[in-house]
Amino acid sequence: MKRLLATALAVIMVISLTAGCGGTETTTTKAADQTTTTKADDTSETTTGSEEPSGPVEITVVTSYGGDDGNRGNYEDAVSAYEEATGNTVLDASATSDEEWKSKVMTDFEAGTEPDVLFYFNGVDANPIIEGDKVVSLDEIREEYPEYADNMKEDLLVPSPVDGKVYTVPVNGFWESLFINKAVLEDAGVEIPGADYDWETFMADCEKIKEAGFTPVAVSLQEVPHYWFEFAVYNRGNQDNHLNLPASSDDETGAKWAEGLGDIKALYEAGYLPDNTLTASDAETVQLLADGDAAFLIDGSWKIGYFQENCADNLDDFALAYVPGQGERKATDLVGGISMGYYITRKAWEDPDKRDAAVKFVEHMTSDEVVSVFATTSVTALKDGVIPSDDLDVLQLSAIDMAAGATSLVGAVQDGMSAEARGDLFANIKNIVTAKITAEEAIDSALALQ
Amino acid sequence: MNSVIYKKKAPLLLFLLPAFAFMMVYLYYPFVRNILNSFVEISGLGTAAGAVNQPWYSNYVNLLQDPSMITALKNTAILILVTIVFQVGIALVLALLTDRAGKGAQFFRTVYFFPIVISGTALGLMFNLIFLYKGGMLNQLLQNIGLISDNVDWKDEKHFLLTMLLPVIWQYVGFYFVILITGLNNISADIYEAASLDGADGWKTTWYISLPLLRNVLFTCLILAITGALKVFDLPWVMMGSGIPMDRSWLTGTYMYNQTFIRADVDYGSAIAVIIVILGVVISQLANFIFREKDY
Amino acid sequence: MTEQQYFDQYMSRELADSAKRRKRFSPSKLIIYLLLVFWALTTIYPFVWVILNSFREKGMIRKDSFSVPWPGSADFTMDNYLTAFERADFKNAYINSITVSALVTLIVIFLAGLAAYGMVRYRFHGRRALHLMILASMMFPVFSTIIPVFRLQVVMGLASTGNRYLSLLSVVLPQIAGNLSFAIIVLMGFIRSVPIDLEESAFIDGAGVFRIFSKIILPVARPSFATVAIFTFLWSYNDLFTQTFFLRYPKEKTITLLLNEISSQAGVNYGLMAASVVLVVVPVLLVYIVLQKNIIKGMTIGAVKG
Repeated sequence: MKRLLATALAVIMVISLTAGCGGTETTTTKAADQTTTTKADDTSETTTGSEEPSGPVEITVVTSYGGDDGNRGNYEDAVSAYEEATGNTVLDASATSDEEWKSKVMTDFEAGTEPDVLFYFNGVDANPIIEGDKVVSLDEIREEYPEYADNMKEDLLVPSPVDGKVYTVPVNGFWESLFINKAVLEDAGVEIPGADYDWETFMADCEKIKEAGFTPVAVSLQEVPHYWFEFAVYNRGNQDNHLNLPASSDDETGAKWAEGLGDIKALYEAGYLPDNTLTASDAETVQLLADGDAAFLIDGSWKIGYFQENCADNLDDFALAYVPGQGERKATDLVGGISMGYYITRKAWEDPDKRDAAVKFVEHMTSDEVVSVFATTSVTALKDGVIPSDDLDVLQLSAIDMAAGATSLVGAVQDGMSAEARGDLFANIKNIVTAKITAEEAIDSALALQ
Repeated sequence: MNSVIYKKKAPLLLFLLPAFAFMMVYLYYPFVRNILNSFVEISGLGTAAGAVNQPWYSNYVNLLQDPSMITALKNTAILILVTIVFQVGIALVLALLTDRAGKGAQFFRTVYFFPIVISGTALGLMFNLIFLYKGGMLNQLLQNIGLISDNVDWKDEKHFLLTMLLPVIWQYVGFYFVILITGLNNISADIYEAASLDGADGWKTTWYISLPLLRNVLFTCLILAITGALKVFDLPWVMMGSGIPMDRSWLTGTYMYNQTFIRADVDYGSAIAVIIVILGVVISQLANFIFREKDY
Repeated sequence: MTEQQYFDQYMSRELADSAKRRKRFSPSKLIIYLLLVFWALTTIYPFVWVILNSFREKGMIRKDSFSVPWPGSADFTMDNYLTAFERADFKNAYINSITVSALVTLIVIFLAGLAAYGMVRYRFHGRRALHLMILASMMFPVFSTIIPVFRLQVVMGLASTGNRYLSLLSVVLPQIAGNLSFAIIVLMGFIRSVPIDLEESAFIDGAGVFRIFSKIILPVARPSFATVAIFTFLWSYNDLFTQTFFLRYPKEKTITLLLNEISSQAGVNYGLMAASVVLVVVPVLLVYIVLQKNIIKGMTIGAVKG
């Protein structure tokens, strides 16, 4: 028995090793090339001095396009194209963006082992590296390279909250909007919501959907209440004051937030959320929409990939609509923006050999052609817009229609909160809807950590 | 016991120094940093420390008043008890049974180890599918045999404790099993031989010989159970995430991770880590006081 | 008598004894087997479940994850494995994983064996304090020690160098420390139960402590060392957190890391996740099966003699 098992395991391992070999021969040789070029580069460094950037250079790059990112393949292709065009090599340490990744990136800057080019958030998450002068602003780069990022619209380049200067060149942004399951709406006898969708109609629709035996809204309040919070608060204000942070729960913004949180509580109390919204994971509730058990889901532009992957057979059941509006906010006023971009670190900029390679790399990764491949349906800052692609599926087309009908785009107010405050507020949403604490108490608790 | 062999203490340094040198550099130095971190303001792992908290021990005061921390401590206490009684208990029974099973013993040794080699994350996903609200295996099964008519939310406030504890207990039985089997194999054969000459049969040898001689190994298991329960993380994290339901299922290990990474309150997380270590030492010493180890 | 003779004596008694016990039969055997089989089912089932689902068409797992996807049926597929192979340099990753974990295991059992022996057999001032230190360090959460360790290793020139071997070393060192306390505690428990007469008769024959350690303690406690080795290997191999921090470039990645990345959004694709689990688990099971031989009495005799 034991020997049999051991043999079986050994066979599996051998198969996987050989299969691994076959598939990856190219990468191994590439890695070998890489080391030789580095060596060659080292010698040229010493001989030519540091005036002119010379010969092939190796730059280190960290992005969030690793792991299972939807653009991972596109990213790898673009990097190879850069290596071919310039002769430089890229030592890539990309990973999936999560809290651990963020702390790793920050630790690198603290320890002085930061990469030459970094693709990272442009909001408060990057404050420490800007305060520490670890990255170079666009102004400074443009003194040497006047055309740097000149294919981007200036007003869509996001300034740092620290000093108002722009540090990042973006690839593509995101929008948040309403995903709907048309089959469920049809079964419940509810019309497909249009550009004038308002809160009252939405609540009436939810009632009908609930009576028909479906779950109106797919959301996990315990894990990802973020999108509903964003729109509920936006619905109680307008485009101009949406990004204001309250100083306390009893100022104007605080009152607005409390009202928005009250709307979420009303949805919960009316039974429009999944029965187990307080214990279900986000994956579980999203699945409700995918399985045709729920009608509405607010999520981001990246979620399209999920439906393409998991609902390929009935993709035309799904579409994008607008989150119902209320008061001054029209349904077509979207939340979204550009939250990440390429930084060049001070370390690479001050290194005469790497400066040019790093700049070229960012220019290449943010060129019209590359950005168009990455963006498909999401927002970009390109002056000339995305080069259109002609093989889009129904959901992508629906998304493009939806985005085209947008009347405005405003950032997410939660991105202006510190991670600590945000975490506290969202952890308390389950307590608000179950009336364990009031919305005002939750807001004040979060603001104490801001 | 203090044999004449070990009167000369010089070689001791060579025995202890390498291991302790490693521990000082890679465990104690970082942990002293962690203790210091618990007194200063740090918002985000990897970011530099800010000003000293006001007052410097404020994190510890907050911990005492934090309902989630108190929940975590209660749950962890339950987990320690359950781990000792069931995890070590089941493992002991299985080890004793396997030891006398003869045929097939090797098979059981191998398969009992399976749950430990599969990562906690993968097992968590599997258990999530079993306990899934809609269409989960358990709900389907119970509906098919007519025990329930509506889906049961296994993670709600009535059921969460069992839903969380069962997989954790089950996963690590194999761990204690392997340790106990090793302990059984270490028992010198003469002792059994002497006993059988005295006419002791199967169960008597188990009760009067195996168990008393396993005492030290059982004590090791006790210590491992206590420390293990205090830091258990991956399986409960995948299944219960942020204290599902309603902050009721926190354990010290998951709460520490949550504060450090998800809530970005690194100094508070560091304070929890300090509490975990203090509790571990205190409880182990208590256990040591009650069941002393013996030399032979 | 030589050390070899002590052993022959010790082990042959053991052999005689186990033979005797094996012959004994009692009616309670049926109940014993029922219990053993019941537990075996609970541990085999999840494993089978993972293997079955690794061959299942994605999307089918959540709907119907508890049936058998027979080859040829609609939901049978090899895609999950093909995707995994396509994405990753498996050979390199297995080599990295096994190098790291084997090094960690060897060094840990050696250092922990020495330390546990010293802690158990010697009486000295500060012994209790050292014991508490070992105990406390078992509970240091890796999440709170990783950043200082990272900075330390950057200063030492080990971490973030881009050099594959240095990077692997930068994982090995903290993992050794992280597994030492457990290994010392467990080995202490086992060594304490080793009867001291063997050591004393060897001592009378003129053996020094190091000789006693290598010729008596190591072989007699062989099953215990094997047990500790199994768990050290397993934990080093599965320790994603330390690996993620120190291994960042493709050529440095371990199999655990690689497959975790591929299936990091496993919430969506259970099939890929299951295939990854199978590919990751295989080497650990091999190590377990090999090392487990040392925990079995009958085998020990041959092993010591050979």
